[in-house]
Amino acid sequence: MSQVESMRGAKILTPRLRDIEVAVALRATDPRTECAGYHGCIPSTICAAKPGTETSPDIDVEEKLKEAFSRGWSVIVWNDPVNLMDYVVYVFKTVLKMNEKDASRHMWEVHQKGKSVVATETREKSELIIHRLRGFGLNATLEQA
Amino acid sequence: MTCEPIAPDQWRLSFTEPEAGFLVNVLARLGKHYQEDVARMPPALRDYWQGTISRGGVAGQDDLKESQEVLAEARAELRAERLALVENWIRDFELAEERDPWKVEISNTERDEFIAMLNDRRMFLALELGITEEDMEAAPNQIPQEARRVSILEIDVLGHFILVMLGPQIYRP
Repeated sequence: MSQVESMRGAKILTPRLRDIEVAVALRATDPRTECAGYHGCIPSTICAAKPGTETSPDIDVEEKLKEAFSRGWSVIVWNDPVNLMDYVVYVFKTVLKMNEKDASRHMWEVHQKGKSVVATETREKSELIIHRLRGFGLNATLEQA
Repeated sequence: MTCEPIAPDQWRLSFTEPEAGFLVNVLARLGKHYQEDVARMPPALRDYWQGTISRGGVAGQDDLKESQEVLAEARAELRAERLALVENWIRDFELAEERDPWKVEISNTERDEFIAMLNDRRMFLALELGITEEDMEAAPNQIPQEARRVSILEIDVLGHFILVMLGPQIYRP
């Protein structure tokens, strides 16, 4: 498994990209036509429904694709006793490209409420953010939004 | 210690001799830590380097287990990268002709990495001794155990170094 790839000098976690590649390859060899969305599939994608059957391997493929590209994964930063407030603001600005106001608002939320949702992104991107935040010593976790 | 911008992407750090001595000592300890086997670390430090990607638990969620393994591996790589940085800083100090003050010129990226490394040391000390928010807010003479008191002082001094480097972007409520 390709665990870590380098992109613009940053580390990116890409374990499921291979799943997507497999899905794309399956699409390329699938003789069926594109779906108009009648079966709950994404319109203009390969139809997940097979006549006379309830399940299909393609459903997994669609699920994986949907999951990989949906922005349904939250990055949560948790409070700790050591990281300085100014430092946390600096990390949010550096890693998440927040402006001063937003970075400060999230920092106060972490400090006062114990945690803050600092980003909701695709799973790949959320994992990358978590890795970077942890690289700066912040306790960040991934939750499904 | 001072930190001044000398170009759009360039900073000059300047340390007095005692500050430089303290810093090199901290870097040496960091280097040792980065080389330690994570499996042999105390649980709090082991969690810091491996941790859990989700507080909701990952049992039964194979995808999250995989993410966690990937994260742990990336963290292991980070330790190796930080070790190399530490060795560079120590080598620069050893080769410096002038050490009072000791001056170092670094880029924005190097400044970010240096700040993160100093913060690592603060985190390691706190995790190793289970330092709490109350400890951090207490006056030094209110901390009875010497090891704990010394660690909190080191955390504070490194915090000062970090704030000096963040100077131009310190948050003001």
